[in-house]
Amino acid sequence: MKAVENAVRSDAPATRVVVVEDDQASADVLQRRLQANGMVVSVAHDGRRGIELVEELLPDLVLLDVMLPDTDGYDVCLRIKSNTSTSPIPVIFLSARGEVVDKVRGLSCGAADYITKPFQAAELLARIDAVLGQARNPRVPRLGRPIERAPGERLVARVAIADPALREHVEQLLGSRFDLAEADETPDVVIVEGNAAVPADIPEDLAVIRVSPGHAGNDGNEVIPIDAQLPRIVDLLVRERSLDHDLQAAAEALIVLASAIGSHDRPGAGHGERVASRAVQIGRALGLDDSTRMTIRLGSLLRDVGNARLPAAILAKQGELTPEERATLERHPILGEEILAGFKRLSGLLPIVRHHHERLDGTGYPDGLRAEQIPLEVRIVSVADRFEALLADRPDRPAVSEAEAVRILQSAVARGELDAAVVAALATQVRAGGNR
Amino acid sequence: MRPSSVSKRVTTSAPAHETDAERRHEHRFQVSESIARLVMRTTANNLPLSRDDRPYQWSTTTYCDTVSWSIFRAAQKGSAMQLRIREYHRTRPREVMTPGTAWIEFKDDEQDTSLKERFGVPMDVARAFLRGEAALPQPDHGLAERASQLLREGARPVAVTQYNRLAYNSLDSSLRITADHNLMYFALPWETRTDGDADPSPLGSLLAMEPDVIVEMKWYGELPHWAVDLHAYLKENTREERPSKFIVAMRWLLGETDGAKKTRKK
Repeated sequence: MKAVENAVRSDAPATRVVVVEDDQASADVLQRRLQANGMVVSVAHDGRRGIELVEELLPDLVLLDVMLPDTDGYDVCLRIKSNTSTSPIPVIFLSARGEVVDKVRGLSCGAADYITKPFQAAELLARIDAVLGQARNPRVPRLGRPIERAPGERLVARVAIADPALREHVEQLLGSRFDLAEADETPDVVIVEGNAAVPADIPEDLAVIRVSPGHAGNDGNEVIPIDAQLPRIVDLLVRERSLDHDLQAAAEALIVLASAIGSHDRPGAGHGERVASRAVQIGRALGLDDSTRMTIRLGSLLRDVGNARLPAAILAKQGELTPEERATLERHPILGEEILAGFKRLSGLLPIVRHHHERLDGTGYPDGLRAEQIPLEVRIVSVADRFEALLADRPDRPAVSEAEAVRILQSAVARGELDAAVVAALATQVRAGGNR
Repeated sequence: MRPSSVSKRVTTSAPAHETDAERRHEHRFQVSESIARLVMRTTANNLPLSRDDRPYQWSTTTYCDTVSWSIFRAAQKGSAMQLRIREYHRTRPREVMTPGTAWIEFKDDEQDTSLKERFGVPMDVARAFLRGEAALPQPDHGLAERASQLLREGARPVAVTQYNRLAYNSLDSSLRITADHNLMYFALPWETRTDGDADPSPLGSLLAMEPDVIVEMKWYGELPHWAVDLHAYLKENTREERPSKFIVAMRWLLGETDGAKKTRKK
């Protein structure tokens, strides 16, 4: 009972289970049994509350009765599996309905298992173990992106391993690619053995890599085996981390600049940050991965950086713009792209900067792109930008409510301007209470 | 009862092809699960279970429309040709356009009747067809050419329905009765040129779920007497005589969320 044993161990996070069971007595028995095995259990007695609990707690597992007072378990399961936030959570049906057709129906709805009542506790715990074991996705070292090495440049490593023989062996291996740190020298990377403590004099932001003479860690820690591949792996990890730091620093500087510019033409502070936050949420609802959401966030924050090259008088103007002024203003996406074009690692967000005013029907600017020519990330930022703008007072109109803003955007969808699925994702968020 | 000329060919070199012989009647009813159980029990006493639609097999239908929603607008007026991709899975997939067999379906809906034609092809062929890079044979009603025209006008996948279908078919295919439940509607983000050709498309937000069961009767000519009675029973017990799943899906997608109650098709 590995999962159960892990949960019982004081240093392991407890397995969190939501039980959706309408029968009070059955729920109590189940709750006590699971708690006795170290699990944290929350109980709902109807489907609506069950879904609320799952969305609120994001548990490790859901145990779901089929027959519920307000709906059936299949409906609850389908809702859990249709929400990007909750869909990875495994669901096990517990039901007295043991016909093959019931089991097939439950499993076809996305459940990981179907257990017929009455069941033995040992069988339930074994099945929970099996399901949780399949659901866990062990983290692996990120070695996917090869990073070119600058010619002649060698990084500095310190090997902080207590065992002299092992330390010497690791130093010999690393010598092919690294200089070894002198006593008073700050290294680029520190090598420690297994779970050993990091030396106290090492700055917190320094790269620490854990190595093992045996095998790679399989308990969730990233432990690199000590073999001929060690120098290459350490080199890649350190350079990737360094580049990420550089990119983050550059992007933060640009974001500060863009925010400062934005404050000149936006009445409320923090509009850019709100757009970015909203766009990231939409991206999450659409199942986009972390990397894409980061691109969306940075693109949102920097989308109007081109305003820096526009005349301040146009940005500050309160009344209606002349056609010439409007044409000038509509050049800001192009100017923004020019400003950022020099940052190679920001190239992924240039389409957001250039195209965030394009429309699916081709009536946007600056390029008049149509539907399939506009990347999804851009469409998400466009929707978030327009939505957040509607929530703020403007000289020409007052702010509207979130629900009204969604209706306005749905009208824009009906006119063919915005992506219906992106607005639908936003509408779902707003209905669920949004983030603010 | 008129004979059906439903044809079915499955070969490795040509697409599987099924088509209605002529326009057929199509009525649909939204009923409670208990009514649906009674109806399907009666149906099972008179018609064989369709082998193509096993119980709790998930049907996933991806509907296409243009940026200006021209197909939806035409459907609301009572006459439109749907262009859609149908997939079948044992468990509910969270993606559409997955590798395997795709059925490219053309369905010409009018007030009381419909005409359907479909081709079973590998998904990469279906994708190529949607991009306008592959043609289909046009053996019967010219629906494929009309679909190609829609694609030239910019029609792309925009909405998805998923449901479990229980289907009974007469041996000569002159009568088909289906019950769809666990009906779910999803948005689908607009496809871009940079999307991987072979990658399945993740479903967008869940737009709505329907708690009831949709019973559909499709037939040529006259109904047999037991089916006439069944039709009357359904009509008496229906919650809503409702528009097609396509119209309901599009209303949810566009925020016209008074759903199935807007128009009464029959």
